Amino acid sequence: MLLQSIVNGILFGAVYATIGIGFSLVWGVMNIINVAHGSFIMIGAYLSYTFYIAFGLDPFLSIPLNMAILFAMGYLIQKFVLNRVVRGSVFITLTFTFGLQILIANICLLIWSADYHSIKLSYSGAGITIGSIVIPLVRLGIFIAALVLTGLFYLFMRRTKIGIAINATALNFEGAKTVGIDVGNIYAITFGVSAALAGAAGALISPIMSVNPFLGGPLVGKAFVIAILGGLGSTIGALAGGMVLGLVETVGTVFMPSSFQELIGFLVLVLVLVFRPQGLLGKKFYE
Amino acid sequence: MKRKIIILGLLLLLFVSVPFALSGFWVRLITYILMFSILASALNIISGFTGYAAFGNMVFFGLGAYTTAVLMSKGGFSFFPALLLSAAVAVVTAVLLGMLLLRLKGHYFALGTLGAAEAVKHIIENLTELTEGGQGITVPPLRGSPAVVNGFFYFFMLLLLIAILVVAWRISKNRLGYAFKAIRANEQAAGVMGINTTRYKIIAWSLSAVFTGITGSVYAYWFSYIDPPTVFDVMWVVKMFVMILIGGAGTVFGPVIGAFILETISELVWSRFINLHLGILGMIIIMVVMFMPNGLISLVTTGRGFRDIIKNLRRSTESRL
Repeated sequence: MLLQSIVNGILFGAVYATIGIGFSLVWGVMNIINVAHGSFIMIGAYLSYTFYIAFGLDPFLSIPLNMAILFAMGYLIQKFVLNRVVRGSVFITLTFTFGLQILIANICLLIWSADYHSIKLSYSGAGITIGSIVIPLVRLGIFIAALVLTGLFYLFMRRTKIGIAINATALNFEGAKTVGIDVGNIYAITFGVSAALAGAAGALISPIMSVNPFLGGPLVGKAFVIAILGGLGSTIGALAGGMVLGLVETVGTVFMPSSFQELIGFLVLVLVLVFRPQGLLGKKFYE
Repeated sequence: MKRKIIILGLLLLLFVSVPFALSGFWVRLITYILMFSILASALNIISGFTGYAAFGNMVFFGLGAYTTAVLMSKGGFSFFPALLLSAAVAVVTAVLLGMLLLRLKGHYFALGTLGAAEAVKHIIENLTELTEGGQGITVPPLRGSPAVVNGFFYFFMLLLLIAILVVAWRISKNRLGYAFKAIRANEQAAGVMGINTTRYKIIAWSLSAVFTGITGSVYAYWFSYIDPPTVFDVMWVVKMFVMILIGGAGTVFGPVIGAFILETISELVWSRFINLHLGILGMIIIMVVMFMPNGLISLVTTGRGFRDIIKNLRRSTESRL
């Protein structure tokens, strides 16, 4: 029982990592807490559901499509709207993303109604049994896909010119401008990448969670916790933060009622903020 | 000065006559708007004056509402003692949370308060024996004819609003207010100048908390049923921030003006397009943030009028990076 929940926690922790990476990227680079990140995940889940219903497309195969659509959406939002308020104070940008969140929720409600949808895959019952532990195939696939995405993102930030430019802009905005980086464009790409990761996360959760207009809210809460646990702007940190959250949640259910879980998540968030604002793992990446 | 007093006197007369002139529906609606005016003005003290984005301010509203609800339904208290204890709970919470969280800056403070508010909400939900948990709790209602009940809550909110406006006005003119504004402008410099920043920040948040907590208490008695998702709803704080932005942050009357504008629009939209209500609210939020970050009051005080809005519109069509 305990071993099984540890396995479940690690498997789902990778999805949390994908969510946390996108969220902490925008925060770390642009100093925006994007409350609408959960809404992007929700859009991703709805897209996967729609592709599945309309074309019978497997949610795993809709990942690239979701990412492309959400990248475009994120890029355009940043380029034409957010770039105009991004240098404002905390409560300007935070209020803005709250507005964006309820706007998106309303649009999704109009398109997909308030009904709870779910995707039933042909292999959703299948699993690998090792001793007393069962590893469901779907969750294993989700785990692997999330790890691949995390790896690709890591390489993107380290090895590509755009990734390095994003890092440079995050570390020194004026400096980046001086050396000829088009910061407006870099910000738009950053937001696009973050949204794309959210879109992928939406595809990943669509086979195991019900798709509904209230999906986004709790996930933003988790993204807060992961980003704070891992420290801003760190891929490895977000991966660790996601795993820790996944483990705490699943192992926690063995020892306590599930209503306590969220309480613990938020208590941890506040305590880490107060005592280790640079994250559990390490140094401060961005000022 | 004389003109100001006359205008304020006329406004007061207008507000006092509301319950005698309008129907129950309107009295309740305006009571609701007065409530948001108080909440936005309270948030303005910590966020507008002092510059700390307290996105978790509903924690005081929820605690005030629940303290009153539990004391009245389980403890046999009458309303006024329960209200005083609710105010005390809010202040104590603000001081304790303040000592922990007010060391954080910017986004970290905003997030810390959000986390704290959510944590308290879950604690309330889990204390089922005391609070009835997630299903909500009923409060013994005020007995009397509808007109009397409506009038009672209307005047209660009106008095609270006048009280907080007087406090905000006094603050904006005295040492306390200058300390708050110094912290907002440059906290480090304020500290070097000899301002005990931690103390002043805790005072600002406690003032904000006591009014928010009392309003929560009145809300519980008024609606006579509360549940955690409503009284700890983050979207209320977001609405308050939009009200502050519409009216003008750090001004005395800005939040009230913003509350009246936003809630009037909300009411008009709510009754006509129920499916689009939230979407339109989202659009309004985005527009306000983009085009009027300094608030309507700045148009009056700077005397430049609507030319400023046009200028903002024009400027906002080009990127500000």
